Amino acid sequence: MTNSIGEIRDADVLFVIGSNTSEAHPIIAMEMKRAVKRGATLIVADPRAVWMTTIAEKHLQLKPGTDVWLLNAMAHVIIEEGLTDDAFIAENTEGFDAVRERVKSYTPEEAEKVTGIAADDIRFAARKYATTEKAGIYYTLGITEHTHGTDNVYALANLVLMTGHLGKPSSGMNPLRGQNNVQGANDAGATPVFYPGYQHVTDPEAQAKYEAAWGVELSPEPGLDLNVMMKEVGKSIFGLFVMGEDILLSEPNVKKLEEGMNRCEFLVLQDAFMNETARFADVIFPASVFAEKEGVFTNSERRVQRIRKAVEPPGQARADWEILTSLANACGADWSYSGADEIYDEIAKHAPSFAGISHARIDSEVHRGKTGIQWPCPTPEHPGTVYLHENGVMRGKGLFSAVDYRPSNELPDEEYGLFLSTGRTLYHYNCATQTRRESGLDEKQPENFIEIHPRDAKKRGISTDDRVEVSTRRGAVEVRAIVSRQVRPGCTWMPLHFAESRANLLTNDAGDAVTNTAEYKVCAAEVKRIAAKDSETPRFPGTYYSVTGPN
Amino acid sequence: MIQETQIRINGEKHSFRPGETILDVAGRAGVEIPTLCHDPRLKPAGACRTCLVEVEGQRKLLPACATPATTDMAVVSESERVDRHRKTLLALYATDHPSNREASERGAPDELLDMIENYRAPTDWGAMASVRANRHDDRNPYIHFEPDTCILCARCTRYCDEVEAVSAITLAGRGSETTISTVDGLSLLDTSCEMCGGCIDVCPTGAMGEKMPLTRGDKPERELEKVRSTCNFCGVGCQVDLNVDREADDGAGRIVKVTSPPTGTTTNDGNLCVKGRFAYDFVHHPDRLKVPLVRGADGEFYETSWEDALQKAAAGLQGVSERHGKNGLGFVSSSRCTVEENYLVQKLSRAVFGTNNVHQCAAT
Amino acid sequence: MSDDKRAAIPHGLQEAGGLTDGIARQLSRESGVPEADIYGVGSFFHLLARPSAKIRVCTGLSCVMSGANEVLEAAKKAGLPCEATSCLAGCDLPPAVLRDRRVLPSVSIADVERTGGDWEQLDSSAIAPGEEWRGFVGPERTNPDELALDLLGPDDKSGKSFQRAVELGANGVIEAIESSGLQGRGGAGFPAHIKWRGVQGQSETKRYVVLNADEGEPGTFKDREVMLRRPYLMLEGLAIAAHAIGASEVYLYLRGEFEVPWGIVERAIADVTERGIYGDLQFHMHAGQGAYICGEETALLEALEGKRGMPRLKPPFPVEVGLWGKPTLIHNVETIACVPSIVARGGDWFRELGRAEAGTKLYCISGHVKQPGTYELPLGITLDELLEVAGGVIGKLKAFSPGGASSGFLPASKRDLPLDFKSLGSVGSMLGSSGVVVLNDTVDMKWAALEQLRFFEAESCGQCAPCRIGTRYLREATEDNLDHGAAGGTTARGLAHVADVAWQMNEGSICGLGQAAPLPLTSALQYFPEDFQS
Repeated sequence: MTNSIGEIRDADVLFVIGSNTSEAHPIIAMEMKRAVKRGATLIVADPRAVWMTTIAEKHLQLKPGTDVWLLNAMAHVIIEEGLTDDAFIAENTEGFDAVRERVKSYTPEEAEKVTGIAADDIRFAARKYATTEKAGIYYTLGITEHTHGTDNVYALANLVLMTGHLGKPSSGMNPLRGQNNVQGANDAGATPVFYPGYQHVTDPEAQAKYEAAWGVELSPEPGLDLNVMMKEVGKSIFGLFVMGEDILLSEPNVKKLEEGMNRCEFLVLQDAFMNETARFADVIFPASVFAEKEGVFTNSERRVQRIRKAVEPPGQARADWEILTSLANACGADWSYSGADEIYDEIAKHAPSFAGISHARIDSEVHRGKTGIQWPCPTPEHPGTVYLHENGVMRGKGLFSAVDYRPSNELPDEEYGLFLSTGRTLYHYNCATQTRRESGLDEKQPENFIEIHPRDAKKRGISTDDRVEVSTRRGAVEVRAIVSRQVRPGCTWMPLHFAESRANLLTNDAGDAVTNTAEYKVCAAEVKRIAAKDSETPRFPGTYYSVTGPN
Repeated sequence: MIQETQIRINGEKHSFRPGETILDVAGRAGVEIPTLCHDPRLKPAGACRTCLVEVEGQRKLLPACATPATTDMAVVSESERVDRHRKTLLALYATDHPSNREASERGAPDELLDMIENYRAPTDWGAMASVRANRHDDRNPYIHFEPDTCILCARCTRYCDEVEAVSAITLAGRGSETTISTVDGLSLLDTSCEMCGGCIDVCPTGAMGEKMPLTRGDKPERELEKVRSTCNFCGVGCQVDLNVDREADDGAGRIVKVTSPPTGTTTNDGNLCVKGRFAYDFVHHPDRLKVPLVRGADGEFYETSWEDALQKAAAGLQGVSERHGKNGLGFVSSSRCTVEENYLVQKLSRAVFGTNNVHQCAAT
Repeated sequence: MSDDKRAAIPHGLQEAGGLTDGIARQLSRESGVPEADIYGVGSFFHLLARPSAKIRVCTGLSCVMSGANEVLEAAKKAGLPCEATSCLAGCDLPPAVLRDRRVLPSVSIADVERTGGDWEQLDSSAIAPGEEWRGFVGPERTNPDELALDLLGPDDKSGKSFQRAVELGANGVIEAIESSGLQGRGGAGFPAHIKWRGVQGQSETKRYVVLNADEGEPGTFKDREVMLRRPYLMLEGLAIAAHAIGASEVYLYLRGEFEVPWGIVERAIADVTERGIYGDLQFHMHAGQGAYICGEETALLEALEGKRGMPRLKPPFPVEVGLWGKPTLIHNVETIACVPSIVARGGDWFRELGRAEAGTKLYCISGHVKQPGTYELPLGITLDELLEVAGGVIGKLKAFSPGGASSGFLPASKRDLPLDFKSLGSVGSMLGSSGVVVLNDTVDMKWAALEQLRFFEAESCGQCAPCRIGTRYLREATEDNLDHGAAGGTTARGLAHVADVAWQMNEGSICGLGQAAPLPLTSALQYFPEDFQS
């Protein structure tokens, strides 16, 4: 996030795209609700009528995967109506002319045909966003989990740059992180191309620095990202170390991955629970959960915050950092860390963005009334950074990127006639290894389901609570049907949390050209009724609210 | 020119910013004014009446929580009149509230009982029978409502509307029979409630309480140790207080409940969602892995020692590296683990095994 | 969701037959208003909360003294779906009974028995079939030029006072109101012109006029008579007010039990709107749903907005922040009905009609009096003067309530006190809505106080603790005394803490209901201590 969570309540326009905020980030949604109650305009772009649309001024219910059309058409309107911030563009950006040329053909009227959003609504959104000073964009995986996810992000960034909505309070570009420490894991260098603090592995200076620090030779060759790594299992990858992930539940097109896993020679798993991936493990280390160890998590707004040991781990389970240290030493290394604080000090020593941060500072200091320190924080005296790009764009000039619409990798056809998107619900979390062990949550939402529009349901003879089979070219699962106007006609949606009916047996592993992130949000599927509902008692999976929509 | 804006409280001058209430200014000045229905996240209701103060020129006492400070306003928060007001008001509250602390504080502490003690209010005005309706058949797993200890401050209903914006609960009925209800008295499970538990957090008397600790018979909150931590679910990074029974599980400690730090001190501003507040059963779940496991020749897992497991893991990974080259290994780290642990995984991958094949599952 | 949709909720619940299971959810789906909010509203108002009670017998003091409890018993025995209810503004024709939404005057046990258990068959034999009923109005119309409201006179439909107001202009009208000395007749006696100027001076240009016709103070029924007899006079007053403060919309809040007045006002509105005599002025009618508290002006605004009728904190006052947050002029029916003649004849004329205070006043008198009814008399007459025109006391005067339940009780010795705002205020009572209830020496004042306490407990909104708990506490304490005598009974508290509780209710309550609620008990204790010794 370029802004902080606390700035949301003061925003005047919130453009939320590809984010089911109230379910995936409930606390951020509370801040948005507060802004709306104060009078802010909320515009939600999503194929699904998520809860936030109930308080939105406008819901842009686009067809899945047509985000670039919508965003380019908004850019078209902003440019055509002279709503650009020309001074900002001149001072802080480069590449605007190409974008201006590119979006010329993306008229709202044409966009209406592709996206299904009324041209006037696109104009409304464009004008409102461009002409409001405190206007922020918020997005999550609905933007990135596409084969054109990077294009989506570029198209959003174009809107931000051409309107100068950057480097100001409540006005910026804000990806909301899905996991407690996605930001921190990336910051720490758990990525194939960066050392800690986003220092590139191909940068000789960075390589030299870490070679000196760690006393070993390092590879200048970028590694494989996760999506590629999974595809290479059994081909070029024959040994895996997996910590705290259930790749067999979370990765797309898992059938293919299972085939690869059969050829994998050695797998070490480090987790707090048994999971699907354990079926292929050779060694399993019993690890600890957040309440049993010291350390830091870094949230979406770059705030580094502490976790603290509250209880002892069960049995012989150990803190992950202790296990990793022991494993490295078993492999011949000579690591000696007395605690997580010492590990953090090592990170800070070599990564300038975090140089001023330490456990001791986080424990003792309060900044702007809140605990935790937001990086960049270069020195021990620095108070941390609330919003980025305050003094011009960080990398020098903000780079416009002209992008064109490309259809999703797999679209509905005669055989698989429906769009399928996947996502999260309020009551579970990812692979649900934790939340499905919580009896209350399981009561509220005990089983998997698929949302299907009444029109499509009728065609297939499906009623709410019927058992149905959902199939794609990659697999099939059985779930409960919810006939709902939350989805567009022609679209379906299901959550990803349930091991007994894995949505990722269905999803497409085609990756984005740049990030290789898989297309979890769009694939072609078919739904077939296999049994009538088993009880007259209605169940309430999903969020409970009434939605009116096309019949 | 900036207007000098000052207000007098008990004769002392204090400056204030536009929009601040008497209570805001008093709070900064360290002047104690009791409140029960006030919460900084909510619009003032002025309903509990505990914060009434004298304002010069006003015939009636005014609620400090809802009265904006104005220039040259003179406020008296300590006087015979205000004292009599507090004592008689609290005495009235006491006639309609359980006096037995042990019984009423099975869950959270009761601010009303504290206040009755602090202001030495009479408690001998007799006790009235309970008249507020309960929802006995609410089968929801988390939120328990105890109408006898409810003081109708409406913090819960206002929170549900103004902060969580789901409006699942409401003041229902009227007069002395007013209670907190859902539509048609349904279970919260069958309403728009999203189980954020904010109603529990804002309740000053514990009338809205956590069901599970009550059902389990856990120790009351007063006897628990709070450990500040960060929620382990989404990327918002809410601060949580893990409420630990230190003696439980033979001294290993047990998390009995999770509460939110005070509003205004953390990113979550005192708020939590259903997962952050209630989804902590997994920590103490019997399914937890407790012993290192290695796969035997028969394909089954066997319990083993740490030393053995570490040796076997090291040998296995080194074997692959020798057979298929450094890039024959892949390291999958976790965005669920700490920054320090992610650092160690990439250091293990890069420094020990010489490959940049390290990533974490950031996309789901 | 728009304000209109929320505002329509009480009516929607009424149309749906009240709050039954599933209705709130259904209305929520249609309106977008949260279902719990709808449930909260429905459960607040008596007419909506218990839709199965089709027959409601008034148990106000005047009605109970005329056999209301016996009528209620008979109704129960006859198998009618019935319950007791608060004052129905029919104290002059007791006992009043509500059939669905229609008040029936002087219902007898024989009337109840004649139904054969079918509530729809209940009628009052005091009125001929098909006849619209009205109460008694006096005194005789000897000199209409000394009457500001002239209830027995013809109801002028021409709108000529409004024309006069247009000629005077907004400031001219407000000056006339100021010079007339008109005080609000709903209870508080606040100078009217201050409110008018208050709204006029706001920077916000969207403004509203709201008519408070939620007449419910026990002993009071004058607004009912104004609506029954002079609806055009009232509408003209509203039109003049709207013109003066720059409002284009008027909201009329009539209590839901006023089915008969509703029809009359509705027809008059249709007529003036069709004739266009007040230009584009829009009148909106809103039915109350059974809540005395909505006579409190800010509770009324909440109810108009479709919320639970809980009073707002004041300040800010409605002249600044009123209906939907806009500057709003709220007046009682009688106050508004004074306006046309003030404009037509001048402020001085009106002021001279009264004695120490300005104008004439509609006095309601009921209880132990020979001719109960509504009497337009100079403001400031004494009880004796009022009794004289009303035919005198039945039996020997013991006590009276000068202005509804909220005014408490005064002993017979105060019979020569002027019945005006200041004089009554000076003895700790109030003129209030000038609903005078006369009690003779057959009445036990402890019992009378208890009846009034029951009323306040039933009608407390429950928002603030002093009133919510205090009304219940005082009622229980008095019952305790009634059952067990001065020594106190099982609860062993008796009346020992009444003074403290009353002090707290007066200091701590948000609105006038809680502040006034202890008065019947404290005044009875003050003037008739012997009644509590038995």
